Amino acid sequence: MIKNIKNILILALILTTGLVFGQIPSAESGTFALTNATIETITNGTIQNGTLIISDGKIAEVGTNVSIPQGAKTIDCSGMTIYPGMIDGGTQIGLVEVSSDPRTRDNSEIGDVIPHIQALTAVNPSSTIHPVTRVNGVTTALTMPSGGLFPGTAALINLHGYTPDQMFAGFKGVVMNFPATGRRGRWDRRSEEDIKKAAEKNLKKLNDVWAKAIQYHKIDSATGGKDQPYYPEMEALMPVVRGEMKLLVNVNAANDIKAALKWIEEKGADAILCGVSEGWRVAEEIAESKIPVVTGPVLSNPTRSYDRYDRPYANAGAMQKAGVKVAIRTNEVENVRNLPFHAGFAAAYGMGKEEALKAITIVPAEIFGVSDMYGSIEKGKVANLFVASGDPFETRTQIKYVFIDGWNIPMVSRHTQLYEEYLNRAPGVEK
Amino acid sequence: MKKINIIIALLLSATFVMAQEKGSVLIKNGTVLTVTNGTLENTDVLIRDGKISKIGKGLSTPSGAKTIDANGMYVMPGIIDAHSHLALDAVNEATNPVTAEVWVGDALDPLDVGIYQALAGGVTAAHSMHGSANAIGGQCETVKFRYGEIDPDKMRMAGAPRTIKFALGENPTRVHGGGNGILPRTRMGVEHVIRSSFQQAKEYMEAWDSYNAGKGKKGFKGKAPAYDLRMETLADILKGNIIIHCHSYRADEIYMLMQVCEDFGIDKLVFQHVNEGFKVAPELAKWGAGASIFADWWAYKFEVYYSTAYNAAILTKNGVTTSINSDSGELIRHLYHEAAKSQKYGGLTDDEALSLITINPAKQLGIADRVGSLEEGKEGDVAIFNNHPLSIYAIPMMTIVDGIVRFDRENDADDMRIYPDPEEKIDVTHWQAEDHDRCMQNTEFLFTDK
Amino acid sequence: MQKRDSLFRSVLLLLVIGVMPFLGLAQDSDLKPVTNKYAIKNATIVQAPGKTIQNGTILIENGIIKAVGSSITIPADAWVVNADSMFVYAGFISGLSNIGVEKPKDEDRKDDRRLTGNPSYERAGITPGNSAREMLNPDDKSVSDFRKLGFTASHSVPHKGMLPGTGAIVLLGGADGESMVVSDQSSMYSQLSGADGVYPNTVIGVMAKYRDLYRKASQAREYQSRYNSNSNGMERPATDATLEALYPVIGKQMTVAFKAEGVKDVMRVIALQRDLGFKLMLGEVKQGWDAIPAIKGTGAPVFLSLDLPEWKEEEKKEEGEDDDEEKEKEEKPTPEEMEKNALEARQKEMIKNYYTQAGKFSTYGVKFGFSTMEVKSKDFKQNLLKVIENGLSEDKALAALTTEPASILGVSSLMGTIEAGKMANLIVSDTAYFTKDANIRYVFVDGMKYEYEVKKKKKKKSNGGEAVDAAGEWNYTTETPQGNGSGVIKLTGTPGDYSGTITVSFNGSTNEIQDVVVDGNNVSFSFKLNMGEEITVEISMDIDGDTFEGTLSVASFGSFPMEGSRDPK
Repeated sequence: MIKNIKNILILALILTTGLVFGQIPSAESGTFALTNATIETITNGTIQNGTLIISDGKIAEVGTNVSIPQGAKTIDCSGMTIYPGMIDGGTQIGLVEVSSDPRTRDNSEIGDVIPHIQALTAVNPSSTIHPVTRVNGVTTALTMPSGGLFPGTAALINLHGYTPDQMFAGFKGVVMNFPATGRRGRWDRRSEEDIKKAAEKNLKKLNDVWAKAIQYHKIDSATGGKDQPYYPEMEALMPVVRGEMKLLVNVNAANDIKAALKWIEEKGADAILCGVSEGWRVAEEIAESKIPVVTGPVLSNPTRSYDRYDRPYANAGAMQKAGVKVAIRTNEVENVRNLPFHAGFAAAYGMGKEEALKAITIVPAEIFGVSDMYGSIEKGKVANLFVASGDPFETRTQIKYVFIDGWNIPMVSRHTQLYEEYLNRAPGVEK
Repeated sequence: MKKINIIIALLLSATFVMAQEKGSVLIKNGTVLTVTNGTLENTDVLIRDGKISKIGKGLSTPSGAKTIDANGMYVMPGIIDAHSHLALDAVNEATNPVTAEVWVGDALDPLDVGIYQALAGGVTAAHSMHGSANAIGGQCETVKFRYGEIDPDKMRMAGAPRTIKFALGENPTRVHGGGNGILPRTRMGVEHVIRSSFQQAKEYMEAWDSYNAGKGKKGFKGKAPAYDLRMETLADILKGNIIIHCHSYRADEIYMLMQVCEDFGIDKLVFQHVNEGFKVAPELAKWGAGASIFADWWAYKFEVYYSTAYNAAILTKNGVTTSINSDSGELIRHLYHEAAKSQKYGGLTDDEALSLITINPAKQLGIADRVGSLEEGKEGDVAIFNNHPLSIYAIPMMTIVDGIVRFDRENDADDMRIYPDPEEKIDVTHWQAEDHDRCMQNTEFLFTDK
Repeated sequence: MQKRDSLFRSVLLLLVIGVMPFLGLAQDSDLKPVTNKYAIKNATIVQAPGKTIQNGTILIENGIIKAVGSSITIPADAWVVNADSMFVYAGFISGLSNIGVEKPKDEDRKDDRRLTGNPSYERAGITPGNSAREMLNPDDKSVSDFRKLGFTASHSVPHKGMLPGTGAIVLLGGADGESMVVSDQSSMYSQLSGADGVYPNTVIGVMAKYRDLYRKASQAREYQSRYNSNSNGMERPATDATLEALYPVIGKQMTVAFKAEGVKDVMRVIALQRDLGFKLMLGEVKQGWDAIPAIKGTGAPVFLSLDLPEWKEEEKKEEGEDDDEEKEKEEKPTPEEMEKNALEARQKEMIKNYYTQAGKFSTYGVKFGFSTMEVKSKDFKQNLLKVIENGLSEDKALAALTTEPASILGVSSLMGTIEAGKMANLIVSDTAYFTKDANIRYVFVDGMKYEYEVKKKKKKKSNGGEAVDAAGEWNYTTETPQGNGSGVIKLTGTPGDYSGTITVSFNGSTNEIQDVVVDGNNVSFSFKLNMGEEITVEISMDIDGDTFEGTLSVASFGSFPMEGSRDPK
């Protein structure tokens, strides 16, 4: 039985793609009709036995009573379910290829305050990791630079395209690492006093930078931007202090979260909290602030040796139940494909299936201000979606089709290619 | 104030006073996943004095045994991790390319709270390994997660075969060739280091044999070869007393070690990580070498760039005894989920997938006659889940080692440390990052400039 | 981050590597005593635990206790110590310490990295042929520090490595190192500490190397004895002084004194002993309570550490102050408070284990004394009293400081009690010793009298107090994860207006200090080190007379303990 399925699969792949090893075949564009499907719209419930039309990169129609346009390629989705493409709210995908090799790492630039450094610039459209990730149904990811206080500007990308601009999914945000008061590890033997001092110093620096940016914005407004000296750091921060761009605040420890909330309120910044591994400790406060959260990785160890073992699994759910708007991220590169499993663990440990699914679809789209394009199956939205054999959180579920920007993505990656080549290797043991 | 006191009292009473190491327990009415004999619905598992004495329906509770109602639950053999660095105070003696004489069993840390976190993932036994800094690293230790015991001897799985860590590829060449300017700097050098070590051990053995043969003779004046613990250990490998567990990634290096072992008559060999094992799956199967792999880790270094998550499926379908391991204090908490990935990537059956984390690692560690499946006569190591363990919604509810409940989701305290730090400043809003990846632990001093 | 890490390491190295010679010279210009006869008169004499003479007199002559009793005639040429209402005890014996043994200097190592796997014995920390005896210095600060506390003898061992050398029973006083020695080759000192950067680097390396050496030495010793009995036709044995130094251990003429602080260390040492079969004594044990059965099984005597975690006093609830509002607050602790309370309760429980441990050892009948390797001299007495509060009787405590170590170390005939014929090692305390307010007034070491003034209660260290006079040259040492470092801080001027320099001996650099702030007895300043990039190092010194304790911090990377003393000039 298994063998049959496998053979059919291989045959299907060879027929549909005319595959040459080592190359990922091109995606296919056009008008598609996905018929007889269960459709999880996320925002408008579940449609049984529905049809979904993809045209011009958009979801042209969705429903039970949909006529199929002429020339549309019909894909029978009987027994299958359509979901909006999954969105990972925090990764370094595209910036890092082989993490141990510095020549393939472009995620961390020199400098402590470099908000003008653009992640989108260094997104490698040809990364081997993109196909590996998207065939699991993850169509979109926020890719973030890392490093000092303001390590750069993050960008939301779709995992298909031949230039960064083709991949760009309409959201950018300035990343900030909120000054941490915790120890950095076992070797960090600073006294409590010194840790406090260092954090205060960093906070002062942060406030200085912010004050400068405000000043820059005022002068800019007063002069209409004329005669401003070249100051890319301030250029990059200006839309943030003006509230025109989101500030992505990385923060994890409970008291740092509290301090960050206070800081954000004081400055009136339009912020998103990222990481937030101890969010469960201060969930009420976060909820009160109405500041949204992108949390993860869910699959991680407790932050403290005395914490209950399942805190990281339960964190997203605990915040969501307290009223926080919670999206889930992997904070990964080559393992972004495991996003549904992070959400699945959150679902099992208190968040529930429905909310966990939202946390990797519509919620991140809303948080990033792109819910008019992404995050649900709705007419007029960008056709980022996937067709699955069942519950996308379940480990064994097979993803059958993936569409990004309306492109029918070949279900091929390095991993599937090596599988095909080596499952029944020829020659075998004998030459 | 009263309330606080009660809570404190509860917490304190939850600290450990576990004197006995073997217990009796009856697990009633569960769906029993035996792994080796299929799935049994509404079945009881009786453990007496640490051993599975009966699997059947309607068993009665012997006096003194605890009863666990597993109605609606899934009962599987305790998960076995064939590659872990948990519960160790030292992982790498990275100062020499060959350190066969060292033994991580000397550095067991029964107080590691990571053990409890692993128990909370249904794991009952693990192979605590030396790191991968050396071509021939140190000896490893197969442990049972008897968390709560202080005596490291009670962590050991007494009677388990001896094992030793070897390492090929980037790590040993980087540490010694790159860090210290000595052999090996390349995969060629790794082969030579291993071959020459075996050769020396062979000569050492022969010298002892001839000394021992002459010793009894009248008027014998000979001098014994100088005792050398390293050579003694290597000789034990040649004699077949130690299973080699070799850190490896690329197909060529995997193939190389099989050849070397064959030349020296060694037949106990398991490859660890073995990301390109799928490329030489027929060779591995023919040789009889095991493969203990990650479910889907790849691309974290160049030698795993050409990997596939279908590795488990290809190896299994080619007849290689395959396990999925953690090598991580994080992954070890959800090996059941890692095993399920073999169903996503290659469609393994439930029993095949569960074998990857139970009977197969047991085989690779030489303990399959004692653990790794639910069979009468085997040791009472059991994990109980609220859902099928290969489902994403599975939550481990209880973990039993030798008939003693060591993890109970419903009843355990939050803080499960055995020895709290007496000097730590208690501030619940403080945060400490934990270190997870330990395969190269104790080698940091070699890379001060990188 | 990575770059900064490596820069940080360089700074540490700079601070650590290369040590300036310690310039302070001891200048004990005491005049010769006028007599070698002393009489301690009218004292309560605790001859041995549980054996007391009221209004007794002790006669000392030439370092020996001549007589003890209540009706003793005092010779005319004796120096009389009027000890009315005072208490006399046998001098304390430290079961294991480095007292009097000079710390080896951290040498500037330029290792050949190709030899990290096969370093010299010396470099590997394997020097069983070394002897504490050869390293003794009566002017070492530890000698006067511990003598002041009532210690008159110590089982002292060398400092570094897995096999640092043999221990000696030494007196805490003497004209020179040799005169301190009571007996030599008292033990083979061992510890589970690896060599920095070379084999054996980790505890697994040390354990393996220990087995390897031991068995090599056994084999060599056995062959040597065969050869000695009839060498005819036999290959000449190889000579190896390091292995030969282990022969007495293998022959069980010498006991291995193994330092084992944590419970895991204790279990590891016991495992090693089980493997190899040597005679064992455990020292500086901090976490032994769960290992009592295992220790008992070996029959090894134990020296328990008095370096204990800080005792946390119960917060005393003030009675009559529970107005309703507060009550309500108490009944509804926030989850955060509840968590904190629970954690604190667990921590207290844990701390208590350290203090009840001696009492447990006593109850379970394990032979033990106390060791003083790590305890700070200022903490000794308060820790001891807390241990007594937590289940060790005063008599047992006294025994653990006198008769028990004497017996374990095989010097009972010489010391440990106040009996005629024994060495005149005595403590004279102004009241019963095991009370908080007792002060030691005299200590006799080998008949030599040391007198101590009762210090007026020191003012508690308080910031904002009178500014300390910090001028002078301070020799400092600091401990970092990379090793130990040292140098000289020179402060000139007056409080509020200090300037000066600090040396960092690696490159012989002398650095200007800046931002000197004096706050009570605390002096802090910073200096900049040029490492290609400028690194700011901050120093904080808490000065107490001519010594200080403090911290050295490298911006945002860490803070490390430092201590030092003022050069008396």
